[in-house]
Amino acid sequence: MNGIADRNIGGRKRADLFFRVLATASAAVVLLALVLILGTILWKSVPALSLSMLTQTPKGGFYLGKEGGILNAILGSLYLAIGATVLAFLLSLPLALYLNLYKSRTSRTAVWTRFFLDVLWGVPSIVYGAFGFIVMLALGLRASLLAGMLTVALLEFPIMCRAVDEVMRLVPRELTEASAALGATRFETAAKVMVRQAAPGILTGVLLAFGRGIGDAASVLFTAGFTDRVPVSLSDPAATLPLAIFFQLGTPFPEVQQRAYASAAVLTLVILIISLAGRALGRKVTRHVVK
Amino acid sequence: MNGPSPISIRNLSVFYGDLQVLKDVNLDIPAKKITVIIGPSGCGKTTLLKSLNRLLDTAEGARISGQVLLDGEDIYAPRTEVTRIRKKMGLLSQRPQVLPMSIHDNVAYGPRIHGLRSKKDVDRRVEHYLKVAGLWEEVKDRLHEPASGLSVGQQQRLCLARGLAVEPEIILGDEPTSALDPPSSQNVERRLMELKQDYTVVVVTHILRQARRIADYLAFLYLGELIEHGPAAEVFANPKHPRTRAYLTGEIS
Repeated sequence: MNGIADRNIGGRKRADLFFRVLATASAAVVLLALVLILGTILWKSVPALSLSMLTQTPKGGFYLGKEGGILNAILGSLYLAIGATVLAFLLSLPLALYLNLYKSRTSRTAVWTRFFLDVLWGVPSIVYGAFGFIVMLALGLRASLLAGMLTVALLEFPIMCRAVDEVMRLVPRELTEASAALGATRFETAAKVMVRQAAPGILTGVLLAFGRGIGDAASVLFTAGFTDRVPVSLSDPAATLPLAIFFQLGTPFPEVQQRAYASAAVLTLVILIISLAGRALGRKVTRHVVK
Repeated sequence: MNGPSPISIRNLSVFYGDLQVLKDVNLDIPAKKITVIIGPSGCGKTTLLKSLNRLLDTAEGARISGQVLLDGEDIYAPRTEVTRIRKKMGLLSQRPQVLPMSIHDNVAYGPRIHGLRSKKDVDRRVEHYLKVAGLWEEVKDRLHEPASGLSVGQQQRLCLARGLAVEPEIILGDEPTSALDPPSSQNVERRLMELKQDYTVVVVTHILRQARRIADYLAFLYLGELIEHGPAAEVFANPKHPRTRAYLTGEIS
């Protein structure tokens, strides 16, 4: 026994070392990419960053504005992504609960539903954009906050639903059985036990979908439109940060291009703030989770 | 036996797919005694227990034939309300499963879903059943802390209090001490001995010594068949079936 182990130990240690180098290198690449992206955005946005970027709508000549700010896109993006996330949540939570409490793991409906959700997850956002555009025309809507919200909700739905579903699948059957054994209906078990136990995962799913929604340009390109004004109703067109970046970078004027990086910095900041707020909230909802 | 038996199992068979896990089981559970179902792992003990409160309904692909009569009513009849059946029985599972809420709310969960509203009534009931389960003194100052912070032994007694709080007639225990340390196991056993004054208790175990300690009535299950059943003292002292004898002497396990 010992003889075998001893003869092999050199090779095992080399494999261990090799894997450690590989793992460290991967971590370094990820970290470096993040630092480079954030660094580039911040560095390039410094000349254009000012308080007025956050508080004003575009002004002062040039297409998309040489002066003023991107308040139109900040608010447009927030309205749109929040609305879309709420809509996606209203679909995702019931469906995830249905798949986990009302259907057995092997039921054909559950298997196929999960498969379709996975396919939807993989559909590129420009396809959602095009689809949203067609539906919008068919309904007689024009490019608007509402049409954008519906399209982004469609984009977010499979992401959120599958994320929530995966967390609910990890909830032990014994836990939902314990609730059932006390005479709870499935709905009571869903609302009072499953949702609480899965709360941290539900929050993660919502944040993931929100981040995807607020950062997506292609789905809102045809559906939300773009405008210098802050939208005041659902039927107004709405500017969004990803499209602001896209249009600003596409102009031939260096002053406006600089502002694209400022827009990118703002978008990154918005996502960062929401994620941090979500995590703070997450600590509250994990209090009662059973390990 | 005192009075009619609260649970009568008639020709009960259970299949998972093509596998038959219970074969034509017939058993009357005596009232206000501890009935212990023993048998080796995989003999269908847990399946039998779960068929009593229809938890098998949630199992994947279980098919059930035969009858389980609860106070004379067939619980598998199509019109039977399953939540009402389950309310009549408290379940202790192998590993305690506390609900993701506070200690207080774990016990209050059942009474609340069954319509107990007033805070005073809920609090009174929570206190009462935590006392019955022998947990009150340990938790009375931290009722609103997460139940998951309790030790495993405390969690199992919390589950007992939670089960009792819906005021069932029957307590089902599925190897209720198998995840507990010896003192906690003893504590739970002691509770069950006290509770048989007021409740009919059915416990599944593979620990023979435990069966000897607590059983009034004994049922021996082997490969899905009910081999022998009778008053515990009789079966232990004088098993009629050779298989029961072999199991009790440790020749098969």
